[in-house]
Amino acid sequence: MLKMTNISKIFKSETIQTHALRDFSLTVESGEFVAVTGPSGSGKSTFLNVAGLLDNFSQGEYQLDGVNVSGLNDNDLSKLRNEKIGFIFQNYNLIPDYSIYDNVDMPLRYRGFNAAERKRRIEHALEKVGLASRHGYLPSQLSGGQQQRVAIARALAGEPKILLADEPTGNLDSLMARQVMELLHSLNEDGATIIMVTHDPDQAREVKRSVQIIDGQITDAKVYAPESAIQTTLTENEKKELVDA
Amino acid sequence: MNFKALLKSLMLRKFAVGLLVIQLALTLGLIVNSSILALDTIKKLEEPMGIDIDNILIVDLVATSGAYRDDDYANAITLEDMAKIEALPGVIAATPSIQLPIQSGGTNGNMHDIDNPDIELTNKYLSYVPFFFATEKIQQVFDLELIEGRLLSSSDMFKDGDEKMNIVITQSLKHDLYGEDSAIGRETNNGIIVGVVKDFNISPLKPDDKQYAVFKPYIIPNSYHYLVKVEPGQFNTIKNQISDVILSVQPERDIRRVYSMADHLEKFYQQDQGLANLFIMLCVLMVLVTIISSYANAQFHVSKQRKIIGIRRALGARKKDVLIYVLAENWLVCLMGSFFGILAIMGINIMLSNHLEIAKPEILPTIIAICVLAVIGTLATWLPAIKTSNIPPVIATKTV
Amino acid sequence: MLKYYVQLAFENIKRAPTLYLLVILTLSLGVGLLCANLALVNSMASDPIPHKSDRLFHVSMNTWVNENPHVQPLHIIRYRDAMQILKSDIPVNTAIFFVSNAYARDANAADLSRSRAVIRATNPGFFKLTDAPFAYGNAFTHINAKEVVIGDDLNNKVFGGGNNVGKSIELAGEIFTVVGILKPWDLRPLFYHVTENNAFNPTEDVFLPLETALDNDMSIGARSSSTDNWRVSSDTRERNVFYMQAWVELEKPSDKSAFENYLKNYSQSLKESGEHPNEIINDLHDVNEWMEKNNVVDQRIIAFTIATLLFLCVCVFNASSLLLSKFHAAKFEIGLRRAIGASNQQMLVQGLVESTIVGVIASAIALVFSWLFLKASIEFLPMLTNIAVLDIEVLAWGVGIAIIASNISVIYPLIRANRYTISAELK
Repeated sequence: MLKMTNISKIFKSETIQTHALRDFSLTVESGEFVAVTGPSGSGKSTFLNVAGLLDNFSQGEYQLDGVNVSGLNDNDLSKLRNEKIGFIFQNYNLIPDYSIYDNVDMPLRYRGFNAAERKRRIEHALEKVGLASRHGYLPSQLSGGQQQRVAIARALAGEPKILLADEPTGNLDSLMARQVMELLHSLNEDGATIIMVTHDPDQAREVKRSVQIIDGQITDAKVYAPESAIQTTLTENEKKELVDA
Repeated sequence: MNFKALLKSLMLRKFAVGLLVIQLALTLGLIVNSSILALDTIKKLEEPMGIDIDNILIVDLVATSGAYRDDDYANAITLEDMAKIEALPGVIAATPSIQLPIQSGGTNGNMHDIDNPDIELTNKYLSYVPFFFATEKIQQVFDLELIEGRLLSSSDMFKDGDEKMNIVITQSLKHDLYGEDSAIGRETNNGIIVGVVKDFNISPLKPDDKQYAVFKPYIIPNSYHYLVKVEPGQFNTIKNQISDVILSVQPERDIRRVYSMADHLEKFYQQDQGLANLFIMLCVLMVLVTIISSYANAQFHVSKQRKIIGIRRALGARKKDVLIYVLAENWLVCLMGSFFGILAIMGINIMLSNHLEIAKPEILPTIIAICVLAVIGTLATWLPAIKTSNIPPVIATKTV
Repeated sequence: MLKYYVQLAFENIKRAPTLYLLVILTLSLGVGLLCANLALVNSMASDPIPHKSDRLFHVSMNTWVNENPHVQPLHIIRYRDAMQILKSDIPVNTAIFFVSNAYARDANAADLSRSRAVIRATNPGFFKLTDAPFAYGNAFTHINAKEVVIGDDLNNKVFGGGNNVGKSIELAGEIFTVVGILKPWDLRPLFYHVTENNAFNPTEDVFLPLETALDNDMSIGARSSSTDNWRVSSDTRERNVFYMQAWVELEKPSDKSAFENYLKNYSQSLKESGEHPNEIINDLHDVNEWMEKNNVVDQRIIAFTIATLLFLCVCVFNASSLLLSKFHAAKFEIGLRRAIGASNQQMLVQGLVESTIVGVIASAIALVFSWLFLKASIEFLPMLTNIAVLDIEVLAWGVGIAIIASNISVIYPLIRANRYTISAELK
């Protein structure tokens, strides 16, 4: 589904070069739920931006659903994002002036579906996240958890190959975070491929596979068995973060 | 493009959008009305005069010495002036005249058939008929076209002591005095009609069928104007030498102006033209403000929408989609502005018509003005819109 | 505190120079254009003789001698009507006159060149009625004296300036003695002669005794209407030639009714002798009524001023929407200031201080624009040449309007900004 081979991403300023990603390789199969952890500045965000085709990379090869993305122009990238990727952002990124319905509708418009098809998909997606009754509301009229569910509906409506979630519960209290996580799990059980960047070790542990990025490289890749979810294998950094929290 | 959603989002910013809409509506109202004024003036200037305005030279002059208070002396000098002017190669005819066609005021008098003075009570225009006191040459200066009877000749020139003056009148005056009957030989309070000539544009402020004039073969001493008909192409040559020719006859004259009938026409409409120019200047400023407004709104509105544009890009909007999104907002505001603009056009038209003469607004100029504003707005939005479409999608994952 | 606000305002302006530049530019364009037109309207509508404009009356009479249903009281009257008015001792001052022109020269100069002079042929009462300012000498004392009063401009042209009382001046070939010289006399509008588009002409070069002017057959330079034929102006004494205008100065309202009666009796006597075929209508208009009746304030300029007022509205709206985006962008800072304890009112005052500063800057630029617009107006409408004056009063208005416009444009954005919740912005 997603295959990154020796990806490097270098930020250049006038004096220094920073390697955000260094010889980064990762393969995600269809149907996987992968948690990506790592300390701040480790390259998590860069990984997500590159994976989501939001940002380009300097070296290496990236295949998304069989398409080699290097060499694609801006329009092609937009099209790929639109069709194959569903984004879930930490701060939801709903358009405040648009109703829930119009927010979910937005990516479908760029897809060029007809009105009936859009309606069917929007209603279906909102139903899936349990917000079908709220379609006329503005984002500001909803709680954070509800807003994030709208964002998930928006990501789902296009029936993407892969969902990319960036700290999806980062702005939510624990109860709401729980609901969102449950939603993601159930989507995964229905067959969705999900990559989630998080720094919540508990969340990292409850998913099937967790990878850690440090200094722009994958340091270890663990596959948790569902029953071993309670077992703790914390890296030094994760311990430190917990203490800090 | 989701216009409904765009419309809804505009409604959430009612005040800001309202300002833009009112601004556009007023701009449209002023621009359309200004162009109506300008077009009115152009139309007036282009209305055919019925005379050869480019080849008629006018000299305005005043005698400066007391000697000219003697009528015989003044007239003798005038006749000598005429002889000298007509001797110039390129001059067809010259005459003194106390007034010009197309002027406000002037020498006017009442006119009726000697047997029917009461006709003036029913037609007020008959109380203010322009009188052209001049030599018979005025007929050549204006190329008067004879319709009935005969033109005046030098033997018709009225001399003190003569009893009746022979006169020529215009067609519309003849029609209003005598209807379809012949006017030749009829006696009026101003003399005996010997000829009827075709109307020309004498009094633009009066209706087309009231272009009255009486041509009276008499020199009023110290007439303010000399009218000179020149051959085509000779205007400037004659203009350059005529002052010297006149002063060489007798120097104690103040030659105040030498100009063409076309200049005279332009000067007559100078006020209208000037006002139209002022309104056009206002239009230019309004367009300037529209440019500032479209540019700034796209620019500043977009800068606060960076994040949203980033989200759109992340969700699959192409650069083109973003460009259209920014422009669409401009177009939608323009559309609303045009709708209210039509009300503004009519409102301003009514308001202006209380103070000056202005034609009613028409569809075509309105549509043209709307299109011009839309194009200008689009161009001014273009640069910020391009900038916006270059916002990278990665903005979406950045907090704040 | 005010100092802090002012400081903040300048910082804000420095931080978003393009935006403030556009705000200031739009506001100053709007204010400048309006101000230029107000200057025109102000010149046209001003009362040229405020201390007694309500006591000076123009006389219109309906003495036209042909029966004519279209006839309205005319502003011009006959010699005999004017003399009848002059005879009355009800007014404290009476002025009767007509306008003429001739060429003038210093009678004793060797140089034969002459200067064009506009002449007002009038009676001695004219000077008292109009408060004409004398630099040297005084008014002629008789309506048939061979004396003249000349204006400053002609005094400079013919005599090279200075006191030339007692010198001789040649007008249309006749010699007259100068008995008075006026100071520069700007009368805007020229209230005593606003008809025939004379309202913004300068005051005359020469004031000539009326009877002397007629004796010398001076030409009649404004409207004349007649039912009789006439050749030279001395003919007009006996004939029905309407060309003179009359003004009277009436001290009390009772004088006004007494004078109205006087005119009515005169008209009645004409009617009895069969010389007044039309209805008796005699009108007295005071200075301001007379100027209004004659549309001294050009309707075109009024129309254009309305248009510029709308333009200013557009400019204010534009500035307002610019500021709205500016305040929106500054949401965070406003939230922060509110969070650390600035009250709503303090934020409002700060905003108003800022917009006042913007207004002052805009007004300075607006004055430059005003000046340019007036130049353009004169270029387009040369008739405005003597009218387009930016005096102190109009300048003050300009500054005031700019500040008000600037404050109006900021009000909604300010209120709106203060409504942003503190917490939402600082989260």
